[in-house]
Amino acid sequence: MTEAKPKALVIDDEELLRLGVKRLLELEDYDVDVASGGVEGVEKATSGDFDVALIDLKMPDLDGVEVLRRIREKRPHTVCYIATAYASYETAVEATRLGAQGYILKPFTDDELLDQLEKGVRKRRLELESARLRQEREERMLELATERSRLKTVVNALADGVLVVNYEGKAVYYNPAALTYLGLDDLSLEEPALDKLPEELRRLISQYLDEPEKRTTAVSKQLALKPNYELTIEATCTPAPNPDGSIAGVVVALKNITELKRIEHLKNQFVSMVSHELKAPVAASIGFLNTILDPDTNLDEETQTRFMERAVSRLNSLLTMVNDLLDISRMELKTAVRELKEVNLAEILEETISLFKMDIEKKQIGVDFETEENLPTITADENEVQRLFTNLISNAVKYNRQGGTLVVRAKRAGAYAATTVRDTGVGLKPEEKKKLFSEFFRAKNEFTKGIHGTGLGMSIVKRIVDSYSGKIEFESEYGAGTTFVVSLPIRREEREE
Amino acid sequence: MTEKLKRILVVDDDVDMLDQAKAILGAKGIEVFTADNADEGFQTFQEKKPDAIILDLMMEEYDSGFVLAHKMKRAMGDDKKPIFLATAVANVTGMKFDSTTEEEKEWIKTDAVLNKPFTADEVLAKIDAYYEKIGD
Repeated sequence: MTEAKPKALVIDDEELLRLGVKRLLELEDYDVDVASGGVEGVEKATSGDFDVALIDLKMPDLDGVEVLRRIREKRPHTVCYIATAYASYETAVEATRLGAQGYILKPFTDDELLDQLEKGVRKRRLELESARLRQEREERMLELATERSRLKTVVNALADGVLVVNYEGKAVYYNPAALTYLGLDDLSLEEPALDKLPEELRRLISQYLDEPEKRTTAVSKQLALKPNYELTIEATCTPAPNPDGSIAGVVVALKNITELKRIEHLKNQFVSMVSHELKAPVAASIGFLNTILDPDTNLDEETQTRFMERAVSRLNSLLTMVNDLLDISRMELKTAVRELKEVNLAEILEETISLFKMDIEKKQIGVDFETEENLPTITADENEVQRLFTNLISNAVKYNRQGGTLVVRAKRAGAYAATTVRDTGVGLKPEEKKKLFSEFFRAKNEFTKGIHGTGLGMSIVKRIVDSYSGKIEFESEYGAGTTFVVSLPIRREEREE
Repeated sequence: MTEKLKRILVVDDDVDMLDQAKAILGAKGIEVFTADNADEGFQTFQEKKPDAIILDLMMEEYDSGFVLAHKMKRAMGDDKKPIFLATAVANVTGMKFDSTTEEEKEWIKTDAVLNKPFTADEVLAKIDAYYEKIGD
């Protein structure tokens, strides 16, 4: 960077001197301005930014010392010289007190003047530079302080826990989340922390501290800090090495994975349950076939046929269950292909009831079926709606008592078409009600012996209803019967009518 | 040892399994009692005093077999008889019971697990093993 020309201001009432100095300084590559009196001089000096000012002591309008005072007041970095032929001790002291750089005695030689002014310019430049550095330093300090507090704020606000343990096993840094996860009320810094940590975590950290050469990469471990999936933490330990490779400490990040573990547990439970439900009919079928093949059993032909029929029946129910599970999986993955159209609910209900004609007659169940005239259509996949009501009505027939009643009603209720399916059957015990829509739930009691089912029907009903933003409600009394009300949204255009 | 075993009680809510047990164990000359729920099973157990008991794990509840086994073992007093748990699930873990701790094993109180479908020979082998172990 080329330095800008030094700027000089010459304040003198003697025109010749002014011009002479101006010419001299311009030859020396100064940028020069002049003022012919004290007032003008103060004005120019304070409105511009001069490196040096040469001030005549005796001027008619304003005394040089006063000019100096006023300039210094506004422009403390302008280096000022007093030029005078009548130097007195008092004025010299006064001028110096006011911050003049020096005295130049008139008459002066070119060299004397240049020598003095050059020193002034250098001084002024150094002053500016040091002021700039000082300011920069202050700004950095401020930045650093802000940075530090920002970092602290960020770390403290983290949902993940952070704990830093030094090579001596002392806690040197941690955030509130770490304390919460580790169940610690307080952990003072520089206090031996290892003993306060859960056993598994303590062991993991110790491995880093005791054998740093063996443990050089991050290791994660899942810690069940509270039983029954109440709190599971994933602790990731990362070694922090010194520049020479020795261990400085271990940084421990604690992540709350409780929710994940809970879902994993539910999934495992579900898989176990599915395995059990799938294996039971397989085991029963194989059991029948083995029994027939076992030479010891010596079964008569009639029993053999009966056993084979039962094996087939169990395999058929297994097939139904597998299909139901595939349907549920498609609904869960939302890969079910839907053909949405205007569905006439009354027709579907009528068809569905007729599907169970034989069972209804066998059990001598009285059917009471009624739908409101001009029932609005619903926009849905016909197969799904059929499936929904087949499952509901099938249950209402299966679990009904001999000579019972089946009531099916459909009517409009606001923006919904509400279908009621009521039976006079087994009903649900209070504790069974909340399990009704769970997969594989089947009411097991003296009435339900011999009734077959997959335990998936109501789960599918619920999923279908939910997928259309509908709702399903039920009332049930053990031994008396159950009433379901399924509400499905009607076609948008018909809602306003 | 199995010669003297004449009476076995099978409790399972799957009537198919009961009929099979009757057929295969009956063919070995064993008298088979059956019950399709835990309450009836306990009642038959007290009335018939069977020499061995086979219980289905999951009946009314996921742990019905365990509960019933516990109740029967307590009722046996010093006259210990083997109780086998029959299940379609190969391992019992993942269900309501992760039978990992000693307390849980103690609580379950069964002597062996039978995988469904079981054969008569498997049942008899387990019974032999039981009596060998207790040194009868």
